[in-house]
Amino acid sequence: MNPPDPQRLGRERPDALADEHRRAQHSAASDDRPEAPRQAISPSVIEARERTRGRRQWPLPKLADPNAPLLVVDDLTVHYRLEDGWVRAVDGVSFRLDDGQALGLAGESGCGKTTTALSLVRLLPANARIKRGKVELFGIDLVPKSESALQRYRWREISIVFQGAMNALNPVLRVGHQIAEPLEMRLGESRGRARRRALELLDLVGIPRQRGNAYPHELSGGMRQRAMIAMALACDPAVVIGDEPTTALDVMVQAQILELLEQLRRELGLSLVLITHDLSVIAETCDRVLVMYAGMVAEEGPVRRVFAAPRHPYTTSLLRSFPSIRASRRTLDVIPGSPPDLRNPPTGCRFHPRCPAAMAVCSEQVPPEVTFEDGVRVACHLFPPGSPGSVAVAAPHGEAMSSAAAAPGKPPS
Amino acid sequence: MSATTVSPGELRAARLRLRLRNSASFGRRLLSRPEGLLGIIILAFFSVLAAVPELLVGALETATTASGSRLQPPSAAHPFGTDRLGRDMLNLTVHATRISMVIGLLATAITVFLGALIGIVAGFLGGLVDTILMRITDFFLVLPTFVLALILAPILLDIIGANAQLFGMRVTLVVIVVVIGVTSWASTARIIRSQALSLRERTFVARARVIGSGSGQIMRRHILPNVVGLVVANAVLVFAGAILTETTLSFIGLGDPFQPSWGQILYAANAAGALPIGAWWFMAWPAASIILVVLAFTLLGSALDDLLNPRLRARR
Amino acid sequence: MAGGYIGRKLLQAMATILAIVILNFVLFRAMPGSPERVLLRNPNISAAAKAEIRAQWGLDEPLPVQLVSYLGATAQGDLGYSFKYRGQPVLDVLGSRFWPTVILFGLGQLIAVVVGIALGAYSGWKRGGVADYVGNGISLIFYSAPYFIIGMVLLVVFASMLGWFPTAGMSSLGVRHATLADELIDFGRHLFLPLTAVAIGLIGQYSILMRASIVETLGDDYVTTARAKGLRDGYVLRAHALPNAILPTASLVAINIGYVVAGAITVEVVFNWPGLGTLTVEALSARDFPVLQGIFLLLSVAVVLANLVADLIYGVLDPRVRA
Repeated sequence: MNPPDPQRLGRERPDALADEHRRAQHSAASDDRPEAPRQAISPSVIEARERTRGRRQWPLPKLADPNAPLLVVDDLTVHYRLEDGWVRAVDGVSFRLDDGQALGLAGESGCGKTTTALSLVRLLPANARIKRGKVELFGIDLVPKSESALQRYRWREISIVFQGAMNALNPVLRVGHQIAEPLEMRLGESRGRARRRALELLDLVGIPRQRGNAYPHELSGGMRQRAMIAMALACDPAVVIGDEPTTALDVMVQAQILELLEQLRRELGLSLVLITHDLSVIAETCDRVLVMYAGMVAEEGPVRRVFAAPRHPYTTSLLRSFPSIRASRRTLDVIPGSPPDLRNPPTGCRFHPRCPAAMAVCSEQVPPEVTFEDGVRVACHLFPPGSPGSVAVAAPHGEAMSSAAAAPGKPPS
Repeated sequence: MSATTVSPGELRAARLRLRLRNSASFGRRLLSRPEGLLGIIILAFFSVLAAVPELLVGALETATTASGSRLQPPSAAHPFGTDRLGRDMLNLTVHATRISMVIGLLATAITVFLGALIGIVAGFLGGLVDTILMRITDFFLVLPTFVLALILAPILLDIIGANAQLFGMRVTLVVIVVVIGVTSWASTARIIRSQALSLRERTFVARARVIGSGSGQIMRRHILPNVVGLVVANAVLVFAGAILTETTLSFIGLGDPFQPSWGQILYAANAAGALPIGAWWFMAWPAASIILVVLAFTLLGSALDDLLNPRLRARR
Repeated sequence: MAGGYIGRKLLQAMATILAIVILNFVLFRAMPGSPERVLLRNPNISAAAKAEIRAQWGLDEPLPVQLVSYLGATAQGDLGYSFKYRGQPVLDVLGSRFWPTVILFGLGQLIAVVVGIALGAYSGWKRGGVADYVGNGISLIFYSAPYFIIGMVLLVVFASMLGWFPTAGMSSLGVRHATLADELIDFGRHLFLPLTAVAIGLIGQYSILMRASIVETLGDDYVTTARAKGLRDGYVLRAHALPNAILPTASLVAINIGYVVAGAITVEVVFNWPGLGTLTVEALSARDFPVLQGIFLLLSVAVVLANLVADLIYGVLDPRVRA
């Protein structure tokens, strides 16, 4: 008996193969899926990768700790400086990504998802500052690194698939050239080798080889997105960040792209951070989900657990605002109010002004993050430290927005 | 809530108040930018000079009322020096302000009127009208309009007769105004047409159509008010161009020695051979004035552009 | 590049040139009464002489016939005869003044494009700071000053006051040069100031536009992508930002050609450079209409051709317009 499907926007494809595919995906519950080792790949791709392995210190950078998890983000805090103050875009966000995992970053526009992702490689605008925190790739902290030291990690270890490929691709350069560019410029390949590798990448993502000579405006939206994916994979990065990679596409094309990502993940053992506001996408593709609100973590955990039994009121509301094609017809539940102005975020829990379950303490103290046995982490006073099933507590290191200091071990009220 | 009727007079008054308030805040935002502020200060200064030159320096000196000796460098008596005829340069330069500015203003009015008219009609009506008008416009865009103006001027002068007076201006100057206006409208037309084209698709136009408004009415009441902002921003730059064109036309001899503009003074300076002998004061003041005024318009245009295109603002 | 694009542009250019020739005709012949006034200024000409002149110029024929014969004549290079230079064919008169103008403006435009783009790109890249502010201010002033005023300033300062350069003409009068080198040096000394005047004015325009262009381009998403790829800043500017930022400047260079013509005329006047500019002013004061028309035709055609070349170059730079 299948566990209840998370709400989806009727993404089922009619043909049998897709059904087969989907059943195979979901029969193994996502958190039981064995971690795909990075080297588990099909023969042709292995061959292709052998050729480019020569000069790289594959699989790990020199400073890497082979026992460290792939990516650990700890207490990341990023503020933007405006004329009239600081915008606290990301405040104390922590998460972990393991080999072969796909983590979805979910939340409304402006909740800090993109800032979080971009700050991993410090691609932020000039007025942004990483105030605090660690970004550890293979145990190497990227935050204190200088710009030139950090450049080495960009694209080779962490690459990004941007949304709206029409703008993210240079309109006056050929697509094939843009794919081959990091190979030439970053890996030092010869032009011929880079070109050949680019063609292989086109094969990988399902673009006919001749189209590699086209300019971005000559390709359809779906093809452009595939090209972006090919480009992101060029240097065989450890982590690929997808920043709303399917938002600008229509539903059919969206499905194709997601399937491509899935396929690549399986074949290449990719680790993925998927940013989107569309929960159905996360439901389909990701192992874990991190729900963000107003720059802070609301809830994080295995996708099935979080979507089946959300703990944080925001997660619940978010899930409810996505209509399910199976459920009975009802009016859309909208979360009242609007996201807070992050120049002056609400005290205590940032969601409390809009929260249906708000209590007195919510406006006074920032809720600590409590981890439960089923692997879900929540930051909500409804689930204080010591709640049944909780196994660990982490007080938010964030600047105290509370009138009283957060005290772990408070008995449930 | 009971339905209250609002008289047309009240409605108009309310709209006017709203417009004034918007203009006031717009004005304040404009002045808060350094370019806008500088531009407006310079223009205000020259506007004063143009409005009341007699109050500041007395009547325009002529060959017979020249107050000094020829080609004197700046001194206590004549802080800007004197010209070939002995006239005080300060006097000449200040009086020329009015001529240059008025010519610029009138030429701009014609240019903007023609450009907006053609642009709105072409953009709104579309189809064959648009194609024909735009072909003509593109033709004028490619043409070296300055040379055209240069040829038209003597032709028109010949037709009208050189010594008549029209609206208090000598014919030579009227001709310059007309000639600039008639040759410079093309880029304005293009800009306004794009705007009209996009406005045409808006719902309020469809609504106006549905209630039976004719094209002319729609263009006048709906399209026109919505392009006014663009027209004003464009007019600022057109003004700068008009002053430059007038200066150049006068410099090559099409100006009028009796109502001298800055360009005309420069023409006189060149003709008198002032430069090779180093009489820099003959040309310095009109030259500086031209540069300042054009600079002011350019700054103003840039500030207006910022206000109307906030997209670019964030990147500075 | 799509042959269709080239073909289209060529056709447009030819149509425009045709329109220009017709306009030329209209101006001179069809203006109410003007051929008579212009040709026959002298009221003392006898009726017989008038009739003869009219026959000679074909003024008795109906307008369409006149137009056709005018087109035919123009196509063969017969642009009429100058009033001022009694009986000399207009084409010859133009020919004698053509090259000095081309040298002055071609070179000036070339220098301005290269320097202006480089300056603008650099200041756009490194925006902020005193140097940028000052540079911007200076560019703005040069942008606002008509070319001939810049020329006048240069003339007064460097030629009359400092005496470093000659004040007028293309070559020193009455001087015989011993060698080609001497002649070239003399030419160069005369060329320097007017060339600088033209170049400075244009550099102001191009650098301001380029700077704005680069600033805007740097905010585009593909630049973020390029930086995300870990590419070095200098490379990103050169290989990604510049090819896009240069497009508006390329357009401006094309549009400018028409306006540069106005500047051409006046700078030549200031320096007494014997080119088409000074010819225009002379013809203007003498009301030598055939020559004026010839200049109009020549300059217009030149502008159209230059625009055509610019369009083709733009097609190479921006693949999106070729579609």
